[in-house]
Amino acid sequence: MKRFLSVAVAILMVLSILAACGGGDSGSGTTNTGGAGGGNTGGGGGGGSSGGKITINLWSFTNEVPDMTKKYLELFPDKNVEFVPTIIATTEGAYQPALDQALAAGGKEAPDIYAAEAAFVLKYTQGDASGYAASYADLGLTDDMVKEAGIAQYTVDIGTKDGELKALGYQATGGALIYRRSIAKDVFGTDDPAVIKNEVGPGWEKFFEAAAKLREKGYAIVSGDGDVWHAIENSSDQGWIVDGKLYIDPKREEFLDISKRLKDNDYHNDTQDWQEAWFADMAGTGPKPVFAFFGPAWLINYVMGDNAGDTYGDWAITESPTGFFWGGTWLLVNKNVLNDEAKKKEVADFIKWVTLDTSDNGLQYLWANGLMSDAGTKDSVASSVVMERSDGTLEFLGGQNMFDVFVPANAHASGKNLTPYDETINRLWRDQVREYTAGNKSRDQALADFKQTVKDQLDIDSH
Amino acid sequence: MRRKGVSYAKYGYLFSLPFILAFLVFSLYPTLYTLLIGFTNMKGVVPPPLQILDDPLQNFKDLLFNNPTFRTSMMNTAVIWIANFIPQLTLALVLAAWFSSQRLKIRGQSVFKTLLYMPNIITAGTIAVLFNALFAYPMGPVNSFFQLVGWSDQPINFLQDKTIARGIVAFIQFWMWYGNTMIILIAGIAGINPQIFEQAQIDGANGVQTFFRITLPNLRTIILYVLVTSMIGGLQMFDIPQLFLNGGPDGATRTAAVFIYTQAFTGSYLYNRAAAASMILFVIAAVLSACLFYILRDRDAAKIRKAERRLRREAKLAARGGAVE
Repeated sequence: MKRFLSVAVAILMVLSILAACGGGDSGSGTTNTGGAGGGNTGGGGGGGSSGGKITINLWSFTNEVPDMTKKYLELFPDKNVEFVPTIIATTEGAYQPALDQALAAGGKEAPDIYAAEAAFVLKYTQGDASGYAASYADLGLTDDMVKEAGIAQYTVDIGTKDGELKALGYQATGGALIYRRSIAKDVFGTDDPAVIKNEVGPGWEKFFEAAAKLREKGYAIVSGDGDVWHAIENSSDQGWIVDGKLYIDPKREEFLDISKRLKDNDYHNDTQDWQEAWFADMAGTGPKPVFAFFGPAWLINYVMGDNAGDTYGDWAITESPTGFFWGGTWLLVNKNVLNDEAKKKEVADFIKWVTLDTSDNGLQYLWANGLMSDAGTKDSVASSVVMERSDGTLEFLGGQNMFDVFVPANAHASGKNLTPYDETINRLWRDQVREYTAGNKSRDQALADFKQTVKDQLDIDSH
Repeated sequence: MRRKGVSYAKYGYLFSLPFILAFLVFSLYPTLYTLLIGFTNMKGVVPPPLQILDDPLQNFKDLLFNNPTFRTSMMNTAVIWIANFIPQLTLALVLAAWFSSQRLKIRGQSVFKTLLYMPNIITAGTIAVLFNALFAYPMGPVNSFFQLVGWSDQPINFLQDKTIARGIVAFIQFWMWYGNTMIILIAGIAGINPQIFEQAQIDGANGVQTFFRITLPNLRTIILYVLVTSMIGGLQMFDIPQLFLNGGPDGATRTAAVFIYTQAFTGSYLYNRAAAASMILFVIAAVLSACLFYILRDRDAAKIRKAERRLRREAKLAARGGAVE
């Protein structure tokens, strides 16, 4: 009996050690799944031997680009390629570590084409990881082609290192103010974008005047301070890092005051972007009906469209109080692809189709006009040549042509205020701003703590 | 025909071989490599050629003397672990005593044990996301409940409050692990000689007396085991704080492991500093374990051993003295 018990205890202990390790070690576990191509939603390799097809590994953080490959193969059925997508979401910052490891590891499974988002694209085009990227020129995609397509300058700037183009985006993500028509009529007497533009801007003072008017009638001007942040972040003159040190642009520092003022005066619903309450405000089901959101065309199509509920069609867009851009996806090519002529050609063809083909069968035209699928949505794209030929009339916006606002807005977009660390630093910054607006610490303390955390976490000193 | 004794020892080696190999490759080597990295310049997405720093201890010094974020992360770890462990051990002890009591003979034990163990089966990620949704602000189930019952008329931003955020993390840890601890303790109690309990009963000891005079002292080694494993697990606490609030608000739930992760795998990719932090954590775990072993050592046995030694010495002295006389 005693022996049985001791054996039982021993087994239990072993089990509990395993269980404890399972709990404690999942830190390293998470990173492993990232590194070992976790989240591979594709066929898992394919192996390139199936009928002699050329396998192209495609890494992305949404299914946007993988879906393009389907359309591509649909349009060009003769193409002898197979795309193997790996999709890892950027939430929790899991995409970058996984991509970095996959790039560093190389080999057959290495990404051939990889996507990068505005928040971290610079790392791959100009920063530490730019060495992995092939130059577009080596793929046969020349600067003249870029000029001919009239690609928005900021997307070129972001993709260029020392005059060498390494990445291009297909969208242009200049932002606008997206507002509710019914609320505009109630408060400002009209829903005409030309009038509303001057009611809420230009500049933040006019914005707050409008906020006061809206509050009198029980409306919130925005959902949370995150909405305003995107407008501020990408309209600032300088990025977070200047000469290798942390720099807080005055416009970004002002966000502290703007955020505090919004909160103290009860001008918003105090939500955080990308959380339940934020989406609820798009449908007008939050505590106060929300007047406006800040965003580019993709916010309308992919976020608000799905969440608007009953408010669908009650929206319109106009110029933002301050010009900005938000997000966007750039495509990069692993420079190892250049070693394989056949693969190089296929990759170049695909990249060209996505970023530089301005014909009616090119991605940008299809993308802009919502022709990607039956349920396609319209979006503003990088090529001005395509934009001129496209029609941005949206039912969601009550029949307004959104390109009238978004095309000029793209001119405000600048690729000069991004840094490779934006994703991390933004998170730390927003964290401190929330502490300040919640009244947990003083303004100076929040700034000091922000600098200290950046120094401790990123080893970046401040000016 | 006479058979020689067969040595089974080689089978022992054979059976433990897979573990030893796995340990060498997946545990020992990474640990030593981490130790090495801590002294080097390895950082950045594409690290420069590995080089020992001019001052090999630079990373360690930076962390210990020049990095308040690391210090708070250590404090957070300690606070959250203690807040989770004290209630966890208390509840697990009480439940274990109840379930193994000969007097109470609780019916449906296995059902309860299974149910209490359940939280441990759910993935940590699921639980973290669940709690995040529960306490969401300005609209969430807990806020709705508070307003329904009339405890608040404004939505409360629970997760912006450091104490509440830490409290919830501690609670999740407690809730996930008390069942596990309980099972281990029950196994431990089952290993105590039942005669002792019987004798206590005959002597008229009540439940409380039995628990404090018999169960607890006899459980010492098991409790030591629970303490040490839980402490090591606590020092490595990562998944819940990382997934729950990403270490926020204002770093209140940034534990040492979360700090190490953010150092190594985000932002500037400071592998060397993360490795140094891991080593500091390792040393702390070793020291604390040693302390626990010392505190919970068997005092009676030590006393007896000491007494025996003294007696022997005296006997020897006496013998020698006798010889001289």
